[in-house]
Amino acid sequence: MKYSLRNHLLTGIIGGLVLLLAVFSLLVYVLIYNALIKRFDTSLLSMARILAASVEIDNDEIELEFELQQMQEFQDTDHPTYYQLWRADGTVVVKSALLGEDNLFLPASRLDELVFGQSRGRNNQPQRSVGLRFIPRVSDSDSKDYKEPTSEQTLALVVVRDAGDLYSQLMFLKLVLLSASIAVITLSFLVAAFIVRRGLAPLNAIAAEISAIKEDDLTARINTNSIPTEIVPIGNRLNELLSRLEEAFERERRFTADVAHELRTPLAGLRSTIEVTLMRARDRHEYQAVISDCLAIVENMQKMVINLLTLARLETHQVAFRREQINLAKLASSCWRPFSKTALERKVTFENNIPNGTILFSDSDNLAIVISNLFDNAVEYTNETGRIWATAKKSEACVEITIANTGCTLTNEQVSQVFDSFWRADSSRSHTDVHSGLGLAIVQRVVRALGGAASVKVQKGGIFAVRLVLPAADVPQ
Amino acid sequence: MRLLVIEDYKPLQRSLTKGLSEAGFAVDYTGDGKEGLWYAKGSDYDVIILDLMLPGINGLDILKEIRNQGQKTHILILTAKDTVKDRVTGLDLGADDYLIKPFAFEELLARIRALLRRSYREKNPSIKIGDLQLDLTKQKVRRGREEIQLTSREYALLEYLAMRAGQTVSRSDIWEHVYEFNSSAYSNVVDVYIGYLRRKIERPNKPRLIHTIRGRGYALRAQS
Repeated sequence: MKYSLRNHLLTGIIGGLVLLLAVFSLLVYVLIYNALIKRFDTSLLSMARILAASVEIDNDEIELEFELQQMQEFQDTDHPTYYQLWRADGTVVVKSALLGEDNLFLPASRLDELVFGQSRGRNNQPQRSVGLRFIPRVSDSDSKDYKEPTSEQTLALVVVRDAGDLYSQLMFLKLVLLSASIAVITLSFLVAAFIVRRGLAPLNAIAAEISAIKEDDLTARINTNSIPTEIVPIGNRLNELLSRLEEAFERERRFTADVAHELRTPLAGLRSTIEVTLMRARDRHEYQAVISDCLAIVENMQKMVINLLTLARLETHQVAFRREQINLAKLASSCWRPFSKTALERKVTFENNIPNGTILFSDSDNLAIVISNLFDNAVEYTNETGRIWATAKKSEACVEITIANTGCTLTNEQVSQVFDSFWRADSSRSHTDVHSGLGLAIVQRVVRALGGAASVKVQKGGIFAVRLVLPAADVPQ
Repeated sequence: MRLLVIEDYKPLQRSLTKGLSEAGFAVDYTGDGKEGLWYAKGSDYDVIILDLMLPGINGLDILKEIRNQGQKTHILILTAKDTVKDRVTGLDLGADDYLIKPFAFEELLARIRALLRRSYREKNPSIKIGDLQLDLTKQKVRRGREEIQLTSREYALLEYLAMRAGQTVSRSDIWEHVYEFNSSAYSNVVDVYIGYLRRKIERPNKPRLIHTIRGRGYALRAQS
């Protein structure tokens, strides 16, 4: 069965209560039992002592005062009291008339020793008994024949009294205690169930509050003011989780909106270029110019779609990475090739300062994506007649690659966001053409996936430098 | 009619300028927000086509600035921002229309025409002056039953006069609304084009439509 807080509390409370009541009732019963028995026995004993005191030895004759034998107690047949007197040799001296043929049981005992007992009478009636041995009084102690009584003259007396009332009282007490306990337990079960339900109600309330939170509205929070202090930490943790979720969803939403925006703009350019061209007949040169415009737009869109796919795959960990030996200088040169024409047009120079023979083990395709994106960015943002350069430094564990360009007008604070998707210094496209802000976001994510780190810094003189630190050694996977 | 295109994405800026010019509008364009604001403040445009994400100054700030100046120019926002919130913000800041990229060029033209009709309190897409009829949608001109062929510049001039039919329109107004900012038109270009228009529109056996108001300008009306 599942662990239930409610059942756990209920069994705890009720179990504890049953135990307490049992101990308490037992204690009460034992105390009262002892007190009642003691009182009964005391009265029984005094009766026995009176009887014993009335026994006289008169010239070896043992006498029991007659009046005593006629006492009410010994005549009452409803609650009879019996007595029997023995000599030391076990012969019966006298016994209650009510006993008839029956004899009382004579317990073994020493002189002056009291033996209390419990027995069953004729009708299986409970009885209590007391037995004592004593040396009887000599009747005429003044006579000259007076002899100190000897041990042979000890007598044994047993007095038995019907204890039906006493035991039925005790039985009644037992019943009262038991039924009171049962009543208390039943009542307390109801009360406990109510209290537990009341006590656990805030849990239900918080559950209802949580289930009321819709997946499309993550701004909702659990009100921790209205819940008991014990579950405030749960509320707080849940609220933190909601905040993180909200942030993640907001990022996702912004990303999707940005993607849509970035695709809409070139699409608008393409559509309007084509529509305007189709509005009337044009000459061959005009068509050619328009078609190459359209091609340029499509190429940009293609680049962006590929970037988006790379990002999506990186985020869902669908990219497989190999480890192969890479000649870094060579890789940088081949990555630069597609940008050399644009650079030439903008009179931007490129220096590949990576030392020949810089070898590292990594995934060459993905490293090429990183370097190409950095070059793409550099060519775009370098000032005209500016400079782009690549350097590398190899230590035992890692390779540090720096790709830098001149003409940066941003502050270090501004560039701290360059790795965010779609970030642009100006919240608009660059001066030349569509340039989605995805490039640097991809750089960072790919470098991370390759086990490295990317950082960016603006140095004196408007130098924008991206530094990549990649593990160099061939780590067996 | 004179338009200003503020759009920084070059391919779109080029095609917009070309398409709108070919549709008979005088079009000024810029890709820079600050320059755009300076243009907008400097001349009386009929419609400004405004992108929102611009270098220099944000499109919404341009909009605010123009409205703060009390300028009544119609502004059509052309943007990739497509949420209801974006649209509401744009319209509440004083834009007259909102078109989301990508768009059909035909729709842009229709919306610009609708804004122009609003400017000149003309709901009807065709204007009649005497027996001269202008179809603003199709940009067709007839006199009686005869269709008249006009160049786009001539049409633009006639349309402007027709929008303000009955009023006297000064040469500088015509200049402002029919010619681009950086066109190399010389000072009497308005008179020259009025001359071209008269030759195509006026008929010797019919009443004069284009009247010269000495010292003030021109007026297009049926009665002299």
